[in-house]
Amino acid sequence: MAAVFAYVLLIQPFVSSMGAKPFAVKLGVIPRAEAIKIGAADHKQSVAAYLVFKVMVYFGTLVEKAENKVEIPPDYPAMSRILHSSVKLDPYNMDAYYFAQAILVWDVKQIKLANDLLEYGMKYRTWDFYLPFFAGFNNAYFLKDYERAAQYYKRAGELTGDELHVNLAGRYMYEAGRTDLAIAYLSAMVKSAKNDAIRKSFNKRLEALKEVRRIQQAKQEYFNKTGKLPASVEELVEKAFISPLPRDPYGGTFYFDDKGEVRSTSNFASKSAAN
Amino acid sequence: MRQIMVATIKGILRDRIFWGILVAGLIILSIPSISTLSMRQVPELAITLSLSCSSFMLLLLTTFLGGTVLWKDIERRYTYSTLTLPISRSSYLLGKFSGVIVFMLLSALFLSIVTVVVIKLVTITVHPDRPVLWGNILVAVAFDALKYMLLTSFAFLFSTFSTSFFLPIFGTIAVFLVGSASQDVFEFVTAPTTQSVSPFVKAIASALYYILPNFSAFDLKVYAIYSLDLPSQAVILTAGYWIVYLTINLSIATIIFGKREIK
Repeated sequence: MAAVFAYVLLIQPFVSSMGAKPFAVKLGVIPRAEAIKIGAADHKQSVAAYLVFKVMVYFGTLVEKAENKVEIPPDYPAMSRILHSSVKLDPYNMDAYYFAQAILVWDVKQIKLANDLLEYGMKYRTWDFYLPFFAGFNNAYFLKDYERAAQYYKRAGELTGDELHVNLAGRYMYEAGRTDLAIAYLSAMVKSAKNDAIRKSFNKRLEALKEVRRIQQAKQEYFNKTGKLPASVEELVEKAFISPLPRDPYGGTFYFDDKGEVRSTSNFASKSAAN
Repeated sequence: MRQIMVATIKGILRDRIFWGILVAGLIILSIPSISTLSMRQVPELAITLSLSCSSFMLLLLTTFLGGTVLWKDIERRYTYSTLTLPISRSSYLLGKFSGVIVFMLLSALFLSIVTVVVIKLVTITVHPDRPVLWGNILVAVAFDALKYMLLTSFAFLFSTFSTSFFLPIFGTIAVFLVGSASQDVFEFVTAPTTQSVSPFVKAIASALYYILPNFSAFDLKVYAIYSLDLPSQAVILTAGYWIVYLTINLSIATIIFGKREIK
């Protein structure tokens, strides 16, 4: 009886002290994929799902902290390693490819690594159009390898019967088409994203690119009206070719580079992401 | 032999530990909520977790039932008294084995029903990308059951010459781990890309691979989870492998048991 009373007295301070412990957000080290395979017996798919879940929770925690202005740089190499291990255990696991595409491409700019992973997945998930769709996008938008992009989009089109995929193969031959392509891609991703952290990450980029397109359209209008190119983004604002004021959700300022392309001082990346 | 089988089943049902394991199997009912954690493959995750859970429950039954049924009887001298009746030792052994097998099949049936209910629930709320192949799911559970029956024969084999339950239980767990890993180890060791393995180790690993049971052949989960076509030739060969290996194990067990001194 006395012991129960002591427990009741002790429990609140105990819980508070546990909550006040410094919170280290870490992924930790996992064994090599071959070793996990051997230890996982007949539960390989469950272990693969668990590894992806581990990475998701880690990333979600960091995104949440970033919103509360606590910027902790994510350990992208570790996340990549764990996702690669996950697909070695279960090469059909879509969550792994999906997440890898999300972080490897946008945050770490490891396009070739992402494409290699997607190619590996395509050998197994032969029915899935998302993998060639992602690969097509990566080749078009980042690597500017339009021929390979066309091949992947064609494959996606064959799987879905969707003309859009095939049309996309042609569209990005044009300069302006790149921004439109990215906007179309990201809009689809935002719609289908079920994970809050990822959806917010995509949305931010989508907003930035929509602003870029607005500026591009205003620049084209300026050129059509005056026959000259605007000297700066501010000139477009002053002369009322663009309204409201373009806003970069990453906190930077828009400007025209020496080729006349729309850029931002933020480079469309959060401060903690590696360039 | 049939009376021994029925008596064994009754004995198992009376022993509440095994009810406990089956009730623990009801944890499968928590899977619908857990599977929503997946980003892109909620139904697949539900199938993955249900099949893993069923498999693990059957493993527990195999290890603790298969490893202790014979030992307990010998300990409590039931065997000694039963064998004074006009019953051959092989009938006795096979009767006990059949009792365990029937109980495991009933458990597998129970677990498949819970699995099917859970997957159906999940697929109603979240539409799967590919249609769920119920046949594949049932075949996956069935082959898991076959695998664990083969593992049970190992447990019985260890029980025939062991005097405590340690060897049957830990030996069974060891055989399970080794049998599940043998295919992966064999592929790793014989892969042309693996350089750091000596030819001696390669030879030993290959020899062991051919002798030890290959449990990964019975793992058909991936076909159930991702709605892939079952490789019918491989499945039939695995069934054949099962029959032959089981017969060998039970024959050896019968021979050893026949020669055992039972006081």
